Amino acid sequence: MLREVAVVGLGCTGCRPTTPGLSYKEIMFEAATRAFEDAGVDPRCDIDNFITCAEDYWEGFSIFDEFVPDQLGAVLRQLFTVTADGLFGLATAYMLIRTGEFDTVAVEAHSKASDILTFADIVAFALDPIFNRPLGGHPFYIAGLEMNRYLHETGASREACAHVVAKNRKNALSNAYAAHGANITVEDVLESEQLFYPLSRLDISPLADGCMVLVLASDKVAGKLTDTPIWVRGVGWNSDTPWLETRDWGRSVDTELAAKMAYKVAGIRNPQKEIDLAEIDDRFSYKELQNLEALQLCRRGEAGKLTEEGATERDGSIPINPSGGLLGVGYTLEASGLQKALEIVLQLRGEAGKRQVPDAETGLAQVWRGIPTASGAVAILSNRSRGAT
Amino acid sequence: MSLEKIGDPRDLTHWMGHMETDYSYTYGIAGEKFFKELKENAKIMGTRCKNCNLIYVPPRLFCERCFEKLDTWETVSKRGSVHTYTIANIDIDGSKLKKPIIWAMIKIDNVHGGFVHKLGEVDSKDVEIGMHVEAVFKSRKEREGSMLDIKYFRPAKQKLEKALR
Ligand SMILES: [Zn+2]
Repeated sequence: MLREVAVVGLGCTGCRPTTPGLSYKEIMFEAATRAFEDAGVDPRCDIDNFITCAEDYWEGFSIFDEFVPDQLGAVLRQLFTVTADGLFGLATAYMLIRTGEFDTVAVEAHSKASDILTFADIVAFALDPIFNRPLGGHPFYIAGLEMNRYLHETGASREACAHVVAKNRKNALSNAYAAHGANITVEDVLESEQLFYPLSRLDISPLADGCMVLVLASDKVAGKLTDTPIWVRGVGWNSDTPWLETRDWGRSVDTELAAKMAYKVAGIRNPQKEIDLAEIDDRFSYKELQNLEALQLCRRGEAGKLTEEGATERDGSIPINPSGGLLGVGYTLEASGLQKALEIVLQLRGEAGKRQVPDAETGLAQVWRGIPTASGAVAILSNRSRGAT
Repeated sequence: MSLEKIGDPRDLTHWMGHMETDYSYTYGIAGEKFFKELKENAKIMGTRCKNCNLIYVPPRLFCERCFEKLDTWETVSKRGSVHTYTIANIDIDGSKLKKPIIWAMIKIDNVHGGFVHKLGEVDSKDVEIGMHVEAVFKSRKEREGSMLDIKYFRPAKQKLEKALR
């Protein structure tokens, strides 16, 4: 029988618009130290494998994965880098442990976005060099294109997108690790500078620095390490075509399929009933609506209305992004998905403080790799093990 | 509204880095043929997948749905419809554009795909999803075999369309 896998430790630096005085190595050291303390493990002997999640261009390094062992306690130990969001790293850790060959795996992802002086140029460099890049322009036009098509196909309102922003930035006010909490209104969002019609400045999640580390363990050792293991019940991931010209502009098909995979692994048949809360990708306001539908947390075309009715507020019927999401916590590059998983773990442990969603048993974390990708991952976590339900 | 936090890392002690990254991206077999026709004849070519009954534009040597090798070439329409559009008001460096750019995903008629390109000869308030547009090419002399050989797409001229049929 395959082993079960639990999150037994977490560490987070907190997210900030800048991190004066700390290098990327030092923020990684800080988050890792907290996670190992939380899990009660010594990285020099207790962690069987380390996974870092990073992308060279965000870091400003060639072969960045060579620059990570020392600040994690991983020198002369098993370590590799997953060139993707941290949630893909979590999925990889889950699989390693399920092989039976590894009992403890640490997953790290971080952002030192404030070191990047030409963020939009890096995003533009991710476009096809022959068919898309020669046309130039700020690459966020792709978000404008997608948002317009999504609203057109579903009938969701522009105001519903603004609701997402107001909700998430308000949620972030009660999150000590969030960078961009604010009391703003739907009108503030609608009146903010229109950058890529129908997308306005406040629809875009602002960048943040931060590092997250999760420690995962097999059921064999999880009980020895913590009284509150949070079980990884399912993971899923998927990639649509990289071609802008043939992908679906109105829906996130990769998220739909990643969710199906994760639900299947987790044995979830009715997501609306079985998922108590979710941290989902809100890199741009409309993405939260699109992803709600892709995750089958509501029917296609319903997300806007549900949001305007308040169903996705922290005390609503399906709380979405109680942490503040990327709009409120900040967009932490490849750490975005790990931040979402970390928030779900805190919520399921009952350690979310003022933003605690009551009686949550099962939560979902979902992330998109951002413009111009069509890749996403989903993880389902629960404070009940498979045997207990 | 002063809720946007600003922090310039250049105010901290730091070392400035710069990456020189120059590449020469090979077009490949499908790209060579596509851009040769675009440059020499202002024609748009696609490749057909017989399994899936789809014509890929831009053309590829393989089908992303069934993984079949594609070697049947077809000349396709220079017209299509606006699948979605956006109006960009800022440039890549964040500065305000003097003239906003209208970007669109244009689905070329009767093919699978099309182009993400700019719209021209149209006021942004007149653009709508579904509108019919046509490619405007640079002159033969100006064309160099790149995506820039298409200047932009503009609203299709209906009468001309009928006359050409
Ligand atoms: Zn095919």
